[in-house]
Amino acid sequence: MTASAIPYRSIAGALRPTPGDIAVALLTVVLLVGLYLHFWSGVGGEGERARIVSADNGVQIVPLNEDRTLTLHGPLGDSVIEIHDGRIRFIESPCQGKQCIHAGWLHSAGSFAACLPNRISITVLGRNRHFDSINY
Amino acid sequence: MNPTEPSEASSPIIVMTTRDDHRIAWLAALAIVIHVAEAAIPSPMPGVKPGLANVITVAVFIEFGWRTAAWVSLLRVLVGSLVIGSFLTPGFALSLTGAAVSVAVLGLIRLWPGPSLSPLGVCMLSSLSHMAGQFSAAYLLFIPHPGMLTLLPVLMTLAAVFGLVSGVITSLLLASLHGRVANSE
Repeated sequence: MTASAIPYRSIAGALRPTPGDIAVALLTVVLLVGLYLHFWSGVGGEGERARIVSADNGVQIVPLNEDRTLTLHGPLGDSVIEIHDGRIRFIESPCQGKQCIHAGWLHSAGSFAACLPNRISITVLGRNRHFDSINY
Repeated sequence: MNPTEPSEASSPIIVMTTRDDHRIAWLAALAIVIHVAEAAIPSPMPGVKPGLANVITVAVFIEFGWRTAAWVSLLRVLVGSLVIGSFLTPGFALSLTGAAVSVAVLGLIRLWPGPSLSPLGVCMLSSLSHMAGQFSAAYLLFIPHPGMLTLLPVLMTLAAVFGLVSGVITSLLLASLHGRVANSE
């Protein structure tokens, strides 16, 4: 462990890696490649999804990485849901209060919006359903 | 004061300090100065900095052993935060977790029976473990959002780069302290 066992004569000598160092370097490279593969390959793949529950149309799970617009029929009429840039929102609703539209864009896991009169709700699903951040 | 009169009510408490205590204090002071100076460098991302104070911790670990290094590292985080004014802030919690994990890994390196490591390897492991500890604290305590995990590979890459840099500095520092670099003779 101690450096004193190795006779250094130059800067290059002082920086000569030991077999242990080379093992550490290889492990580091493996670790980094593994991290990139694990955390970056899934982007856009399994990503985040949303669960839409509707009294008339049942439950469906939609990916948030494909931009699209859905029209769901409810007891009052058609509700329109938009998915864009990994986010989801109500854009049209036949209800009176429009609470669902005012909920705006949902993107973090656990976020929720519902149109109770039209019996439709959206929940964003993700690996972690806790609070999305804590501020001080 | 006269140490032969311990019963006197006004006599101050005398703390016996050992040579080790003094050495730890001097080395910690050195690390604290680097820590504070480094806090002035703008950082592109919270939690990313060169970690040059790690040079002191690793050099102390190699020269004086794990116990001294643990003292120096934890004192640096504590006093450094008091000087900067970040004591008990989230940043302090991250620093402390990183330092604690890093010190624990140094302990494991000491117990490791395999091939020995030069300061290059020790700094690399210490830097990576510091980042891993810091990131875990950030993820578990403050921002438990899956998006955070996307940052992990980038942060670990930076930790590896800075670990290598501090490893080179530590190697040269120790070699020159021992007069083993040609131009210092």
